[in-house]
Amino acid sequence: MFSRRSLQDYLKKLEEEYEESLKAASSSGSGGEQQEEQEEELRATRTRLNLMAPLVQRFRELRTKEKEVKDAEALLRDDDPDMRELAALDIQDDLQHIQFLRHTLMELLVPDEEVDLADLVLEVTAGVGGQEAMLFTAEVFEMYQGFAQHQGWSFDVLEYMTSEIGGLRRGCAGISGPCSYKRMKFEAGVHRVQRVPKTEKQGRTHTSTMTVAVLPQPTQILLTIHPKDLRIETKRASGAGGQHVNTTDSAVRIVHLPTGMVAECQQERSQLKNKEKALKVLRARLYSKKLEEETHLRRTARRIQVGTKGRSEKIRTYNFPQDRITDHRIGLSMHDMRNFLLGEELLEEMNSALQDFSNQDALLELLGENV
Amino acid sequence: MWRTGLLLHTYRRSGHLRTTGLKGICGTHSPPGPSDPAPPPVPGASMTASQALDLWRRHFEERGVAEPDHSSQYIVAHVLGAKTIESLGQEKLNKLLRYDHVERLWELCIKRLSRMPVQYVIEEWDFRDLTLKMRPPVFIPRPETEELVELVLTDLQGIQDTGMHGECQLTCLEVGCGSGAITLSLLKGLPRLRAIALDQSKHAVDLTRENAVRLGLEDRLQTHHVDVMKEPEVLLSLSDSFSTLVSNPPYLFSEDVTFLEPEILGFEDHAALDGGEDGLDVIKQILTAAPKILSIHGHVYLEVDPRHPPLIQQWVKDNVKGLSYVDTRHDITNRPRFCILRREW
Repeated sequence: MFSRRSLQDYLKKLEEEYEESLKAASSSGSGGEQQEEQEEELRATRTRLNLMAPLVQRFRELRTKEKEVKDAEALLRDDDPDMRELAALDIQDDLQHIQFLRHTLMELLVPDEEVDLADLVLEVTAGVGGQEAMLFTAEVFEMYQGFAQHQGWSFDVLEYMTSEIGGLRRGCAGISGPCSYKRMKFEAGVHRVQRVPKTEKQGRTHTSTMTVAVLPQPTQILLTIHPKDLRIETKRASGAGGQHVNTTDSAVRIVHLPTGMVAECQQERSQLKNKEKALKVLRARLYSKKLEEETHLRRTARRIQVGTKGRSEKIRTYNFPQDRITDHRIGLSMHDMRNFLLGEELLEEMNSALQDFSNQDALLELLGENV
Repeated sequence: MWRTGLLLHTYRRSGHLRTTGLKGICGTHSPPGPSDPAPPPVPGASMTASQALDLWRRHFEERGVAEPDHSSQYIVAHVLGAKTIESLGQEKLNKLLRYDHVERLWELCIKRLSRMPVQYVIEEWDFRDLTLKMRPPVFIPRPETEELVELVLTDLQGIQDTGMHGECQLTCLEVGCGSGAITLSLLKGLPRLRAIALDQSKHAVDLTRENAVRLGLEDRLQTHHVDVMKEPEVLLSLSDSFSTLVSNPPYLFSEDVTFLEPEILGFEDHAALDGGEDGLDVIKQILTAAPKILSIHGHVYLEVDPRHPPLIQQWVKDNVKGLSYVDTRHDITNRPRFCILRREW
């Protein structure tokens, strides 16, 4: 990626702009009649400088390191074996640092999408495979609970619809914390499990599926719902309510009348809390639908489709007999199912690989090259 | 009063159950009447939470206990240290119950068989984001009241943010505090608020205080055991400059009280429910005092029966000087449930 001419040119141009802005910012001062206008301009330049500074700094660091490697490589042909050994060690260190710098540069270069900074609602739904699918859905839900904890995000269960035969039919959770959507968006899609179900007598391997949806949580500004568009259903709707009734049924079901979309919650003993949680899920669902409609025509050439766009794509297989997890989008396989399902280092590694891959595509798009 | 008699009777019944204990109820074979079959015996062999859940659901259903599903679920969840069965997780439900859990479960479910409300059985319930201790006969807060608090909170937060009251202290008076749900929610949501809470029942005042201490909110709260019907002058002596007066007063029409479910009729304090012939007895008392104890532009927030708002509007117009009717608000089920009034001069 970094050997590409287009990227090098882009970075050089950025550096030049940075130099110029820096000069402009420092040479100003001599006040006049257009002082106010000038000041406005100056402020804009400073903002731009602040944005560019870390990028340029990393880029310069990268260039220095690359030069160091080149110099050290010359020493590899030195007569002194000690010198050669030292050079090899230096190169190893430098290459590691270069790797890190490239990763950081990519992160800085690829602009955040508007929703990247949002909190999100995670939705898991059992797919094909009956009870086995529902059992696996429960395990995946738990895996993401572990992932959230590992990342230091909050994980608030909003809906947990179990099935009578065991397992999870559908689960929803609100997740919030730094970069939560930015990371979780790569988890959306169809996950496939291959294993011998506990109930299977003849030891045959079954294949079942479940779906993960990752819905960005819209802010009040991004999505407004008119109260009159909502029908709220509770146990207390019939009869007199108030002091006349004492019920422990605090479940709330909300219907969005224009779309017919529904969300319900009975996770809490407080009816108001249930209402808040159901509304949160409903808002996230409505917002995804809106985003989906907006981006319907704007097709991207990226190889990883995220969020709602990738919902129906089979993204990952969990093969228990082979103790292997494969992500089909990047062809990456990992082993150790038990650890992967904890949602800690292994899932993070998989997720980071996806992110790097996606950043590359986004960068190419930015540079106007074909993927 | 016959109502008190009924209340005492029910107490004695539940008290009896408690002292006799599990063995007395389940172990010996006192012949059950056809309408009053014995509760299921404590299982000799171990059983899973899920099995116990099902057993009690069916038994509650057979015995005509209201909401058999939820009753069984909440009690099982409580015994296992969770709030709801959903938050317990499948794994725990499939585990065998410890014997002490079985014993506790049977003890609580037998209480429920006497139609004691689940909230009293497990001795706690959630109100907004607070978990409150519940104890008979103190009124169990209803979900509508969560919305009443929302109204008050929104308004007071607005006042605090715009600094309309300057550095002036926000103060709130609640008449009929019960378990403390309203006042404690307000104190929790508004760190600068101070409050006085009254109730005619000593049980209620004590429970409000206990809940305040558990939540660490007792420093900004005063409680008084006062019956505003008998001693209206005490109300006037508290202060003449409350920012807010809030109440979920007894508002049932007396004739409706006899038709209440056994859970309410047999266990909750009737004085917290029965508002007299037209349900307005305590409401009128509060509104009469309001202009004398509120600061100028101070507000009254009331939860009422859906038939009340037009009656209250008219009555205030005819009888209370300096108080104006501002608005009627609806609850989640779209019933006119809340009245807002304001002191004008």
